[in-house]
Amino acid sequence: MADTIKDAPLKAVQLEALVVMKIIKHCSQTFPTTATGFLVGMDKAANLEITNSFPFPTVEVPPTDGHHDNNAASNLAAAAPRAKANASYQNEMIKKLREVNVDANNTGWYTSANLGNFVNLNMIENQHFYQKELNERTVALIHDVSRSSQGSLSLRAFRLSPSFMIAYKEAKFTTESLQKSNLRYQDILLELPVQIHNSHLLTSFLHSMPSPVPSAEAQESQPPTIASLAKTPDPLSPNFSSLNLSIDPFLTQTTDLLLESIETHHTELNNYQYYQRQLAREQTKITAWQAKRKSENASRALAKQTPLPEDEWQRLFKLPQEPGRLDTLLNSRQVEQYARQVDGFAAGVTGKMFAVRGNLLPGAGEP
Amino acid sequence: MVEADSFLHLARPLGPAAVGSQPTTAPLNVIIQPQAIFSILDHSLRRNADQERVIGTLLGVRSEDGQEVEIRNCFAVGHTETQEQVEVDMEYQKQMLGLHLKANPKEVLVGWYATSAELNTFSALIQNFYGGQGDGTWPHPAVHLTISTDAGKEIEARTYISAPVGVTAERAADSAAFTPVPHEIRYGEAEKSGLELISGAKDNNDRTANVLTDIESLEKAIEEVLAMLERVSKYVEAVIEEEAPPSSALGQFLLDALALAPKVDPEDVERDFNNHIQDVLVVSYLANTIRTQIDLSNRLATAALTMGTGDGLGGAQTNGTASEGNQRGQRGGRSQRGGGGRATES
Repeated sequence: MADTIKDAPLKAVQLEALVVMKIIKHCSQTFPTTATGFLVGMDKAANLEITNSFPFPTVEVPPTDGHHDNNAASNLAAAAPRAKANASYQNEMIKKLREVNVDANNTGWYTSANLGNFVNLNMIENQHFYQKELNERTVALIHDVSRSSQGSLSLRAFRLSPSFMIAYKEAKFTTESLQKSNLRYQDILLELPVQIHNSHLLTSFLHSMPSPVPSAEAQESQPPTIASLAKTPDPLSPNFSSLNLSIDPFLTQTTDLLLESIETHHTELNNYQYYQRQLAREQTKITAWQAKRKSENASRALAKQTPLPEDEWQRLFKLPQEPGRLDTLLNSRQVEQYARQVDGFAAGVTGKMFAVRGNLLPGAGEP
Repeated sequence: MVEADSFLHLARPLGPAAVGSQPTTAPLNVIIQPQAIFSILDHSLRRNADQERVIGTLLGVRSEDGQEVEIRNCFAVGHTETQEQVEVDMEYQKQMLGLHLKANPKEVLVGWYATSAELNTFSALIQNFYGGQGDGTWPHPAVHLTISTDAGKEIEARTYISAPVGVTAERAADSAAFTPVPHEIRYGEAEKSGLELISGAKDNNDRTANVLTDIESLEKAIEEVLAMLERVSKYVEAVIEEEAPPSSALGQFLLDALALAPKVDPEDVERDFNNHIQDVLVVSYLANTIRTQIDLSNRLATAALTMGTGDGLGGAQTNGTASEGNQRGQRGGRSQRGGGGRATES
């Protein structure tokens, strides 16, 4: 492929309907354990077309007590995209898919999430691994199972920004380096718009599925009993779960997640403060030493002796290491994600609530 | 589409091959999940130019009594077909099955699919392979799913199981009596949101659809409800005007639906409404405050240094002020935490 095309940044992600269904199936089957899988397809200029996907092999976790077990499986699955053992599985699968004419180029990986809790070290490491090792033009698809069950499908595509890639490569996330690169937590991830694409055959198939408005001939015939009415197949759309009024589960879960984030933030800050106290202590020691050495040198100068070297403190004292700020950055990004999610939720829910009140209490809304 | 209840269930005739170790003869009910069909259609599009049809393996789960088979997944298998002979890449099928089982240990081999409605000698041959002992589905019958993908015709799915026929063992190997079995396309709650989006693209010229935001999908749902109400009230009016034939079943159905409207006290509604709307707004407010605090804390952590005092000591001092800022932000965050907890308890 020509360099010019290679260099053009990816602008959008186009998903085949098949991939959407496969991801939904895999993620909801393993929920609440994290599910991860591999995406194949090809990139056309600025458009990344994802045409197929396959899940990574499940790893058997020795059964321990319930909750812990779950976590262990989740962690293993979350690390799967960059695990060595899966690379051979991946290659094998790609080889096989190519035999049956699937566009088997590596285009990224997908993972499931629960209410937007996907910004973590695992995800960053996976995506970094993909963008660096395998193919620069890869995306991470996040399917939010909990949010999709509320009605609208939540499927988002992310990439790591070039500036973050550079920073991550150097593995330096000190205050100084952050300040130099001007990297903010908003700049870690780049979101790409996702489009769903159907093949002609699929379109034709969908048209043969029952539609919300029955055909003219179906309307002609009279249903004999109520039971036969209840048997009418459900149409694909509309989906009325987005009209659901259950708010409390979402709110409790989101506040829980937010609390967790604040907790993390707090720990990070404590670490940092500890570091600063250490640093200040060392600094005072150094200054004291320097002052002492200076006065010593002054007296030596008076006694016509050669002055002692003044930079010995670098050997004598060791400055503490500054803790990395990567966790803080990711955590901040995560909080931002939660906040945006709550905003979106609140926007929809207030509308629904007022509609319900308006229906149940006609005239109550007016002053 | 084949109607699910338009089948006569027959016990399969048993041929000489099965004598002694009789496989189950129970009639089957086949459930197909949409992703399997999507995958088959995709494979059909990717066939080689000279191929009439393509085949593949169906994976899924079987209910305990073997009465119901749910097709959950499938993969393509390469094959070549000429006038005289058919060649299926068995090695490929075996390896691919192994790969699939690694990722989905619960799904087993249940049968195979072909993308043309035609059943011929080769179908029987392949069917006998899939239903055979060893690598096949034996003692359960193999399910054969055909999806016709001829241009210009409806896409039609049919499912079959087979019974061995033929007088001699040689003849039995390449013949089979296909018995149609009822099937049903079923999808779960989780897939609904995806299917909605996918079917949203079916009327677009470019066959694409964007992923909707919460508010957009809400708008869509409300519009659809309004359209449905409109349609129903039109129908009712037409019945009253005696333009459309009345139907007692439909009338009763509508009455039942109307009876579902809850009878609640206006005061209760008002109270619940206020409680919940406050919850929502408080959480939304708090989430945004926390976001701002954390943003602030991040900015302070790096911004203090931009004033750029040269030596290490000065840097440490400015760092100190930054962390004070952080701590203030943290305290703010913590006091809201209590608020957030209260809001959800109510």
